[in-house]
Amino acid sequence: MQQQATLHIARPKSALMAIALPVLTAVLLGAVIVYGVGFSHIAAAHNAAHDTRHANVFACH
Amino acid sequence: MLFRRIVLCALLVGALAGLLVSAVQHWQVIPIIAAAEVLESAAVPHSTEHEEHLLATAHEEQHEHDEGAWAPEDGAERHLWTAIANVTTAIGFGLILVAAITTWEHLRGRPLASARTGLLWGAAGFACVFVAPALGLPPEIPGAAAAPLDARQSWWLLAAGSTAAGLALLVFVPQRTRWLGLAVLALPFVVGAPHLDVGAYSGYSADAEHTMEALAGQFAIATAISSATEWLALGSLAGWAVARWVRPALATLGAPAQA
Repeated sequence: MQQQATLHIARPKSALMAIALPVLTAVLLGAVIVYGVGFSHIAAAHNAAHDTRHANVFACH
Repeated sequence: MLFRRIVLCALLVGALAGLLVSAVQHWQVIPIIAAAEVLESAAVPHSTEHEEHLLATAHEEQHEHDEGAWAPEDGAERHLWTAIANVTTAIGFGLILVAAITTWEHLRGRPLASARTGLLWGAAGFACVFVAPALGLPPEIPGAAAAPLDARQSWWLLAAGSTAAGLALLVFVPQRTRWLGLAVLALPFVVGAPHLDVGAYSGYSADAEHTMEALAGQFAIATAISSATEWLALGSLAGWAVARWVRPALATLGAPAQA
């Protein structure tokens, strides 16, 4: 417990804010990519990724 | 700086894991899909009127099979697109995983990311996007009838999201409220996955139905193995990449000059 409190003090709030934007942007970008391959209703996208969708238990047709 | 490093790590990690899983699938998943498609195209439906109505409802969602839509030719072209889709998916998952491990290491303030701790993150990813969704909506082979697409996609997102949130509560919340995580894990199963009232292969002849069920069983095992391989590779590579390339960028963030 003592150790945790020390660590929090050692990390300034501004450092937290500094990673928030890049980290959240990366997560969002990742989610958009996965959505495009696995969930898009566009026929050509579905057909290209068909076997990947089945293998990844993404819902498919 | 940090964002660029996260993206470059995810590209590398995703490309390697995506190619690996493509090789694994080529050997055990793809042959089952091909066998199911032979039955799917040869089958003569003989369902009752009630079943036909239910199946028709399910098939309303099949815009994807519109005649005339582009599709890769069977053979090399299709395998190539599958590999591209696998690599792209792995890069997407890799972005989330690298970002998560980066945040974990940064908030704990210790050098925690490694190939070994990455395995745990990979296992968690596997639980979120394969195990939990597959418990409600088992891996489907082509030709299986299923509930409307939108309902299944929504439930998939609920299952993956709840599992991620539930595991995070259990692992990262020190207080007793962590046990709420168990309720969050259970949520998608309390809601229940969408299913049809008829069997997935009730439109097929008895023989074909039997074969399809056997194929579906093999498919569940094959996809579980390929997906576990992919996630363990993704996690381990992501942990290694964060330690090697993201950690130096994190170190400069805490410096007083930048605070």
